[in-house]
Amino acid sequence: MTLRGSAGLPRRTFLTASAGLAAAGLLGGCGSSTTTASGATRVRVWSWLTGMDKYAAAFNAAHPDISVELNVIASGLKGGYAQQTNALRAHNAPDILHAEYQGLPQLLTTGGLRDLTTDLADLERGYSPAAWQGVRPGGRTWAVPMDLAPMVLYYRKDLFDRHGIAVPRTWDEFRTAAQAVRKADPAARVTTFPLNDGSFFAGMCWQAGDPWWRVDGGTWRVNVDGEGTRRTADYWQGMIRDGLVATAPTGDQDWIGAMHQGRLWGLLGASWSVGTLNKSIPQDKGRWAVTTMPTWDGVPANGVQGGSAFAVSAESKVPEAAVKFLRWLSTDAAVAKIGTTFTTPFPGYLPSRDVARKAYKGGFFVGAPVYDVLDEAARRVPDWTWGPNALRIFSTVVDRMGGAKTGGTTLAAAVRQTQADTVAGLRERGLTVLEGKA
Amino acid sequence: MTVLTPERATSTPAPAGRAGAPVRGRRGRSRAGLVLAAPFAILLTVTVLVPVLYALYLSLFTDRLSGLGFSGPRQAFIALGNYADVLTDSAFHASLVNVALFVLIHIPIMLGMALGLALLIDSAVVRLKRLWSLSVFLPYAVPTVITGLIWVYLYTPNSGLAGLLPFDPLGKSGILPSIVNIATWQWVGYNMIIFYTALQAVPRDVLEAARADGAGGIRTAWSIKVPMIRPTMFVALVFTVIGSLQLFTEPLVLRGFTGSVTSTWSPSLYVYEAAFIAGDYGRAAAASVLLALVSALLSALVMRLSARRSR
Repeated sequence: MTLRGSAGLPRRTFLTASAGLAAAGLLGGCGSSTTTASGATRVRVWSWLTGMDKYAAAFNAAHPDISVELNVIASGLKGGYAQQTNALRAHNAPDILHAEYQGLPQLLTTGGLRDLTTDLADLERGYSPAAWQGVRPGGRTWAVPMDLAPMVLYYRKDLFDRHGIAVPRTWDEFRTAAQAVRKADPAARVTTFPLNDGSFFAGMCWQAGDPWWRVDGGTWRVNVDGEGTRRTADYWQGMIRDGLVATAPTGDQDWIGAMHQGRLWGLLGASWSVGTLNKSIPQDKGRWAVTTMPTWDGVPANGVQGGSAFAVSAESKVPEAAVKFLRWLSTDAAVAKIGTTFTTPFPGYLPSRDVARKAYKGGFFVGAPVYDVLDEAARRVPDWTWGPNALRIFSTVVDRMGGAKTGGTTLAAAVRQTQADTVAGLRERGLTVLEGKA
Repeated sequence: MTVLTPERATSTPAPAGRAGAPVRGRRGRSRAGLVLAAPFAILLTVTVLVPVLYALYLSLFTDRLSGLGFSGPRQAFIALGNYADVLTDSAFHASLVNVALFVLIHIPIMLGMALGLALLIDSAVVRLKRLWSLSVFLPYAVPTVITGLIWVYLYTPNSGLAGLLPFDPLGKSGILPSIVNIATWQWVGYNMIIFYTALQAVPRDVLEAARADGAGGIRTAWSIKVPMIRPTMFVALVFTVIGSLQLFTEPLVLRGFTGSVTSTWSPSLYVYEAAFIAGDYGRAAAASVLLALVSALLSALVMRLSARRSR
């Protein structure tokens, strides 16, 4: 007998997922032998990083004493975090877990990650400060940085030039440029400001210099409705109200269509958008350029959107081997070389970034070399800390902003409500929370 | 689903056959009974009873963090605290309102269309019955996630359907009709087949008698066929109500494309958000238990009404 599928499907998905978890648990339990048949140390990895299979294979080939076994899981909020959190709670987590900078503190609230402070102490100077700080919430090192994703502005250089629009250096100039774009082509907009992406919105607020979270003594301080964030919200509210930007999601069918037809002349993106552009609009080669984000009052600053790191389970029986693999993954030139064969990596480790830069073939962008712009952007990233409920706040802020397009609410109101939600959520978990700017 | 098969509806002395079975020794029979029931009982225990009890247990606890929260949670017993949280949560109320509106719009339209189509196919008017019923049934064979993605594509501005509508199907006020539309598209065929099967079981002599008395097609449908398949309609109603309360996949898929679907849009999404985004398993368990209770009460109510109506 079939019950309604709208009931049946999630249940089925759920069962499959549980079965998968159970199976993983069984493997962890029964096959908990930490060595393979050939005597190599077995290191289990869960990750959704593109190309992780290639990295693991290269590592295994070069290190016969360690066997890295990869299990590809659903990405981030599509199920990856839920699966990893459940595994940590159930004490059958793999040795290595995938933790984006923005998800690391929330994963840490399981109490199941290994403190890597001493294991990695010697690596600090090799990384972009933004990447290194991202793995050190609360002043201890909890993960190994992989890539860094500073935000930059991509724009249609051909169209900007043809219509005499100057590349905006400040947000005031950006508004002027947006008006010029609309005037030049009433169907076109300078960019989309996706209202369904909390991680993007946070990245845009990051630039304004008021971190949403901060560690103050031994407790959290929450400042989602700080001055910088309010300024960002008011600015974009004005842009949306005046019809100067689209609000549709980035990357979906409609967005690709708009890019194809030249209805979007810019993109507020991150380092990984290079790959998105190459894939979505390959025929636009030679039309796009990249520059650092416009700034508030000319003070150089850039937000970050995304970026991955890897953590080690506190219960791992092979922490040395796990750390050895992660050090290789994060710092070895071979990884950057492999990465450049299928993507445009922007490693957090500076020597690896040079390898990627040299291997980059280019051709898609005109104007300033893309790695130079990204480097500049990475140097401008201001101080920021992700909180222990950051992932949840991404969906809360999207819920709150939902009506902004139709005038049902404003971004400023959404930001105020999100502040209240963030504080309430943390207090509910038993944490002491301070509010406002320190 | 025996209620729906034609045999059951036509054969009046159903229990007669069973009474004729030879009676064995009491012990042998009970052992055989145990053996035969064991697979079901074990599966029921492992896959239903244990998880239900575990959910009840979980719903009485919450995780308490301290300091920065990095030293991990401590489980604390809070009795009915999670239930109080859920019941006073405005997001949960909003999700109930959404699903109530969904039920009120979706069920009459969907079951009405299913019944109408079933009667049409059952009547002598329609040709190519199989082709028709197959094509109406086909959407049911498409997985809900795919269905959602197809419709999102049609709803997206500048492509397909959205341009023809006077409102934005992904906007704040258009989202409910959009979800109703997806669910209706998917479920009409399924329920139509159920109704059509039941209609096949309506005794032909009754229909002939009606015709002899001068009843036309519409009169026969309304006064003979519909009353005779009423039990089937109630079963379909119960399933649809329960299924609607668990509304999940459609809003989840749409959420990826519009901010109009909040992360707690339906009660099931509320549970999902609590468990897998907020990491609050206790609140998720409490909300699930409440949802199960509401489903049970509603189905009991519908069954009760159906029993009264058919008396």
